[in-house]
Parts: sequence; C-alpha cells; structure tokens
Amino acid sequence: MTETLESAPPPSPAADGPSRAPLPRLLRAELRWIFRRPRTLVVLGLLAAIPVIIGVALTLVDSPGPPDGGGDGDGGSLVATAAGNALVLPIAALAMALGLLLPLTAAMVGGDALAGEQAHGTLRGWLLAPVSRGRLLFVKAFGVATFAVCAAGVMALTGIVTGLVINGTDALVSLSGTTLTFPEALLKVAIAAGWVSLQLWAVGAVALAISACTEHPMVVLASVLGGVVVFSVLQFLDALDWLHPFLLNASWQDLADVLRDPMPGGALAEGALRAACYIAIALSLAYARLSTKDG
Amino acid sequence: MNPKRKALAVAVAGTALGAAGLGLLAVPAGAGEAPELPPVGAQALVQSVLEADPPALAGTVAFDNQLGLPSMPGVPMLDMDSARVYYDGEGDSRIAVQDGNSEQTIVRDGNTVWMYDSATDTATKTDARSHHPREENPQGRMSDPAAAAADLVSDLRASSTVSVDGTARVAGRPAYELVLTPKPEERTLLREVRVAVDSESRLPLRLSVLTNGTTEPALQLGFTDIDFGAQPAELFEFTPPRGATVTEAEPDVEGARDAARAGEPRLVGEGWDAVLVGRVPADVLSGGEEDGNVRGMLDRLSTRVSGDWGSGQLVSTSIGTAILTDDGRFALGAVPQQVLTKALATR
Repeated sequence: MTETLESAPPPSPAADGPSRAPLPRLLRAELRWIFRRPRTLVVLGLLAAIPVIIGVALTLVDSPGPPDGGGDGDGGSLVATAAGNALVLPIAALAMALGLLLPLTAAMVGGDALAGEQAHGTLRGWLLAPVSRGRLLFVKAFGVATFAVCAAGVMALTGIVTGLVINGTDALVSLSGTTLTFPEALLKVAIAAGWVSLQLWAVGAVALAISACTEHPMVVLASVLGGVVVFSVLQFLDALDWLHPFLLNASWQDLADVLRDPMPGGALAEGALRAACYIAIALSLAYARLSTKDG
Repeated sequence: MNPKRKALAVAVAGTALGAAGLGLLAVPAGAGEAPELPPVGAQALVQSVLEADPPALAGTVAFDNQLGLPSMPGVPMLDMDSARVYYDGEGDSRIAVQDGNSEQTIVRDGNTVWMYDSATDTATKTDARSHHPREENPQGRMSDPAAAAADLVSDLRASSTVSVDGTARVAGRPAYELVLTPKPEERTLLREVRVAVDSESRLPLRLSVLTNGTTEPALQLGFTDIDFGAQPAELFEFTPPRGATVTEAEPDVEGARDAARAGEPRLVGEGWDAVLVGRVPADVLSGGEEDGNVRGMLDRLSTRVSGDWGSGQLVSTSIGTAILTDDGRFALGAVPQQVLTKALATR
C-alpha cells in the first residue's frame, strides 16, 4: 500500500490540472498492490490446486465410469465425467468453484479495494490525490477484473494441464461424444474461463459497490456471500421462476454448455448479458457513492 | 455540475440501464403480437402439414410437462430439459437431449443410428434398416415435433373437430394454430390439442395438450428457436470417442421377445377415448436389477382401486390415467377411470 501512495503523484501544483495522473501508472500500481498481498497469492495458489486435487482424486479412486443415474447432482455429474476426460476436468472444476468459492475470492478483492483501503486509512490518499473519482473507480474495477481473469485462468490452466497429464491429448471428448483437436479444446476452455471471469467481475463489481459504502471489508465479504447463498436458494424455488432471470447466478449451471458440440450459445450469451447488467448497475452505484465521499 | 447531482444522475442512469437489460432477459422469448397471416382452411392446413417434408433445420426443442408426476429416472423424455435438433432435410438427423449436465446424443447417419450417453460414456450402435423404416424410429418420433404432430393429426381427424384458431409466434416465426377439439361424445380428460404450424414451411413447431379446467398446457413440446438452412455434414456423422463403451444393439430380438411374452397390446375403443390394454411382462414387475423399483415407484404414485374387473393400482395425471392390475394387465388412456375399468372388463 505504500507503493500506491508513492505512485500516485503528490498533490500537484496548480499547473498540473486535476485528474492528470497517468492512467497506466495508476493501473500498474493497483495491480502491484493487489498481487503483492500474500492473501491474493495464497488464494490463487489454492484455486490452482483445486483442479489438480480433483484430477488426482478421480484417478486414485478409479471408478470405472459413473454408475447409472449418476446424473442427479448437477456439478457431481460433470466431475464424474471428468474422470476419463481431459477436456471436462477444467470446466468441471470451474463450474464447481463458481458456486461459492470463486465469488468468495472476488468479494474478497472487491472488499479490499475500497473498504480495506479505507480501514487502513490509505483510501484518503486516493481521495486527496489529483485523481478524479471516476478514474479511481476505473482503477479499482480494473484491479478486480484482472483478479477475476487470473482466478479463472489459473484454474483453467492447471485443470487442462492436469487433465492432459492424467488422460493424454486424445481424451478430449465433448459431452456430445465428438473427439476434439487440441486447439478446439483449448478454445472451449478459454471461452469457459472468459465467461467465468465475466461472472466473477460482476460479483466483484457488486462487492465494489458495497465496498464504497462501508469501511469494513468483512461487511463486504459477508453481504456478497450472503447474497450468493440467498440467490442459490431462490434458484431452487420453482414458485419464484419469474424472479430467476433477474438473479446473477441464473445461468451459472449452464457453464457445461461449452462442453457440448456444437456449442449452444443462447444460455451463455444470456448469462454474459446478465453479468454486464449487474456490472452496469453496481459500478454506477459505486461511482455515485464514491464521488460524493469526503476526502 | 454539482457533484451530488452528477452522482445521482450516474446512479439513476446506470441502474436504469442495467435493470432494463435484466428486464429484457426476463421477457420470455417468442412472445409477442399474434402475426397477421392470410386465412387458411383447416383441411388445407392439415393437408399441407402432412405433405410437407421437413427442410434442413437446426433448432432447440423444449419439453414442458405439468403432469404432476415426480421425475422418473430412466425415462429421458420426461426428464429432459431441452434438446437440440439438427436435420439435413434428407433423413439424417442429430438430436442432443440435454439432461442436467449430461447429454444424450442420437445421430442418424443413413441407416445407422448412434446413441451416445455422456453420463455413462457409452455409445450404442443400431442398424435402423433391419428394424423399421426410417420414420418409425421411436426416439426420433418422440423428439421431433414434426413427426409427432403429423401422426396425431391424421389419427384424430375421425373423432375431432379440426379448426384453425388464430395465429401465434413460435420461436420467432409466424404460425397458424391448428386446434383439435374432441367431439362432445368423446369421454376424455383432454380439452384440446393445439398444434402451431409454421406459416411458410408448414412444419409443426409446437404441440400443446390442454386439459379440462386449466389454462396452462399440461404437456408442451415445441421449438424455442429454429433456423432453417443447410447444416454442416459432419453433424450427421458419429465416431465413438476413445474409451467409450461401445455396444451394438440388436433391436429386433429383445423387443420381439418381450412383445411375444407380453401379448400384443390392443386398443379398446377409438378416437379420444381409446384405451390401450395389454399385459406387462412379469419380470418387469418382480424386478430385474434396473427395474427393481417399478412396484415401489408405483406404490408412491398410485392409489388402490378395485371393481368387477379385478383390483389394481391407479395412476392418474392431468392428461391421462393408467391402471396396473394385480394380475399384470395394464390399461392406459387419456380418459377418466371409468372408461379404463370398462375396457379392462371387456377382455
């Protein structure tokens, strides 16, 4: 956090008008601040370990294919399929973690971005510095987005490497039973990782909005996680199906669509659009709160 | 600009934009004004449906049932969320039935039918030619609204009033609504069957079954999106993936043996109150490994009934009833219970 203060230029003389701090430098400083925190690295390391653990566990258990009727649990079925399939493993790991774990990490970073800095008293530096509030929010949102991409990317990467090591390159089979070439499979995993990043960014944006309203990162974490849990519960209530399209996690189950061949894009596009709507709402609220905040 | 007002303006604008987007997502696809179409007679419409060859298409079929039955494992058509259907216009097809996070793919390539189940990683190859002519493939018929509706129309014309009742927009395409209403003397639970027929290709796009006393369809099978046009040829080829369990099904032997043992089921009555009466193979009920819980499942679904025809278990749904007698006979139809028991009595 000292870097943040150093890299933001000192309160400038009048010649250098407000909001003239060079943006790339601000972004670099923000990223350095995020990725030098031990907890960020630990979280990324743990996320990277998940696909490896799943892959090794599935290999050690060595179930000869899932039993009949194994399609009951949604995530479970995918994980069972991942046992002999290098393509499914990263997607299954992402789908599983997207339920709770990845939103948790996104909320953590979003909470640290504003509330955490305020708790340490370092947000004051930003608010007093000649950086416009819009620019400050942009820098913070960029930091959260970068973390989201890293989190999803690192899981996808270790997932596909683990899958390839365990099953070899000729076990890239889609759910439709077609065998894919390596670049095709890589493209599918990249689409999945990108889509998951977008969803995570939406969660992170909501966390930023809450983060702008409080100085306790714990409040951000608790409310975002609470929201995710409540949303998941609401998904199970058929009586509320009119509400489901409004819930961010409505299409999180559709991640498995990337495994189908040809890939049905409808549900994924809808999910991406939903995430974009959440980002628009959350960032505009965060901006409103931040721009009226007293230094 | 006053920062407070600017903040408020940004908050309102962003929230409105996002909320509008979410609202747009919540609007069900395919809804909209009923399109204006030139009027067409019921007779001509039915005929054009029966004559029309389905063109090459790619679409998504959704199945929606309000039968009031719990989901039954192993009955994919009752379980499925949706299916993607591809057809090349010349008999080859690909159907991908989506069931949670697994998928069953049925590919018809000439005279070969491949079924692949991703949950079990098994592929089954069937030679369709020896078994029955191409349109008779039961999987294909059930998943393809075109064939399902065409069958229905031709069967029911004898006992139904057939009319064209306005238009609708199905999967974004203007369609005629063909309505089959049972004649008054038919004793059936159904109020009407509606078939939405595409105005251009005359392909049935949606099949809905409505029962007495409800406004929502009890059963609906239809396209949620559809695109006409040539499909890539590789969609209609299938090579089982490495590691999959591949079996070659012999369609005739097993089915024929079962049928012979069961005695051919026969139809009692005709039209809407037709009742299918037959005998269930004994080992299905006493339970092999897979069907071990048939009786158990029945116990949960059914109520005990008895009469001069014997006694048995009655399963009633909104669109039909079924009775399984204790001595292994069954009767089912889209009719009230009395019609079933009468049919059981006339053996």
